[in-house]
Amino acid sequence: MNTVQYAPSKIKKALVISSILLVFLALLIWSAYGVLVRDTNWSKIGTIEQVWRAITRFFPPTWSYVLQLGKPTLDTFLIALLGTFIALVLSIPVAWFAARNFTPFFPITYPLGRFIMTISRSVHEVVWALIFVAAVGLGPFAGIIALGMRSVGFTAKLTAEQIENIDYRPIEAIRAVGGSPFQVFMYGTVPQVLPLFIGTAIFQWDINIRRATIIGIVGGGGLGLVFSQKMAAYQYTHATACLVAILILVLVGEYTSTRLRTLIQ
Amino acid sequence: MGKTLQQPRQEEKSTEKKRKPVLVVKNIKKTYPSGEMALKGVSLEVYEEEFVALIGLSGAGKSTLLRCINRLVEPDSGEVYLDGVEITSLDKKSLRKARRDMGMIFQEFNLVERLTVLQNILTGRLGYIGFWRSLFRKFPKKDIQRAIELSELVGMKPYLYKRADKLSGGQRQRVGIARALIQNPKFLLVDEPTSSLDPAIGHDVMDEFHRTAKILGVPVLVSIHDVNLALEYADRIIAMRDGKIIFDGLAKDVTREKLSEIYQYEI
Repeated sequence: MNTVQYAPSKIKKALVISSILLVFLALLIWSAYGVLVRDTNWSKIGTIEQVWRAITRFFPPTWSYVLQLGKPTLDTFLIALLGTFIALVLSIPVAWFAARNFTPFFPITYPLGRFIMTISRSVHEVVWALIFVAAVGLGPFAGIIALGMRSVGFTAKLTAEQIENIDYRPIEAIRAVGGSPFQVFMYGTVPQVLPLFIGTAIFQWDINIRRATIIGIVGGGGLGLVFSQKMAAYQYTHATACLVAILILVLVGEYTSTRLRTLIQ
Repeated sequence: MGKTLQQPRQEEKSTEKKRKPVLVVKNIKKTYPSGEMALKGVSLEVYEEEFVALIGLSGAGKSTLLRCINRLVEPDSGEVYLDGVEITSLDKKSLRKARRDMGMIFQEFNLVERLTVLQNILTGRLGYIGFWRSLFRKFPKKDIQRAIELSELVGMKPYLYKRADKLSGGQRQRVGIARALIQNPKFLLVDEPTSSLDPAIGHDVMDEFHRTAKILGVPVLVSIHDVNLALEYADRIIAMRDGKIIFDGLAKDVTREKLSEIYQYEI
């Protein structure tokens, strides 16, 4: 009797899954046709030989040039560092506003905090960079502010959530000994929130190294800027040398941030 | 450690010895926003060097009463006097100063988990520390010495630099006791100090706490869940039920019938 009952629901499940797959496949074929077949100018791309030759123009990287990239690498590194620092400073008030339990005036400050966080995370770092390049000109300064704007959302969001989840017991204790609101904050709230705050800071710094290289391309300075300059000058192997430098920087950043984060815990 | 914290009051030159109470609670009422009436007019007095146990079923209002005394919970009406000062009429700043004189010990210890034993004990002095010192955690040398002394008194000296979250329950409560004592309080409010501990550990902690309070001469109002523990250590028993006091007398006067009435079952 039971085997008969199971069979119909199994068949139903199989039917649903296969119809979803069919729809997906149809969409895939339709879009492949639209993009690859119709909208691609295949004559311009050339033969396989030509494509391969274009790729080889980028290799091998001009190793001697890598050694000359010390300053742009440092620039990118510092842009990431300063951008993260700005984000951290800004995320303190933003996280405070966006924490339901400590926000100073809920009807206004809470939505404001949440809004700032959302905007920060929705606008891509390249767009932020373009905005600030237009505002303050080309160079690292625009890049730093752009990264700050982009990172605030993440650090503030995690910090606000941590604030909303704190344990109230030490807070009660600090009030009971006669602590002022500042002391309640310093000894009750901060010890519970600080480790996470620092952890997100280190995490964002690592990500910002990668972001810094990209925004360099739109004028943010550092290795990204050098890369776009070399591409514009058709010096492809030099551009690849830039990529090598970027790779090294990113790897060093990742390693350092992982070690630091384990230290914090 | 053998000295009392307060000068004994001058005995009044009358034929009867009239003691002045350290803590006076007059007709405290508290209703929670949910409509539940936690305290329906509670009055009591605690005299010098008394160890008073507050007993009663869960929900009788013991925790609320303790918190109304130092205004962690604001009473709706009624007055509280500590050493003649009306706590219930103080503004925020003066209230903070007054709270320095009231040490509180919590059921769940309420320590700052990431700080060490020494730092936790020192937080008891925050009421005396200004903005900049608080920011940089620079406590006066005298306070640090006192913290070390107290840690020895409660048996936590070997653990001074251990983080609070690495301690056992009994150890944490000892730190909580030291933190309350470093305030040099005129009074101790204690909320079920042993409820979160194993019975054996709880007994030890209670024993040490009682001894320490007597040595330092600090009056205590402690809510206790365990009747036997209360009867064992208290000079006086105050029993609550449904937000009212139904018994207030010496521990030795607590009879079986009284206990049945308090706890509504045959003991």
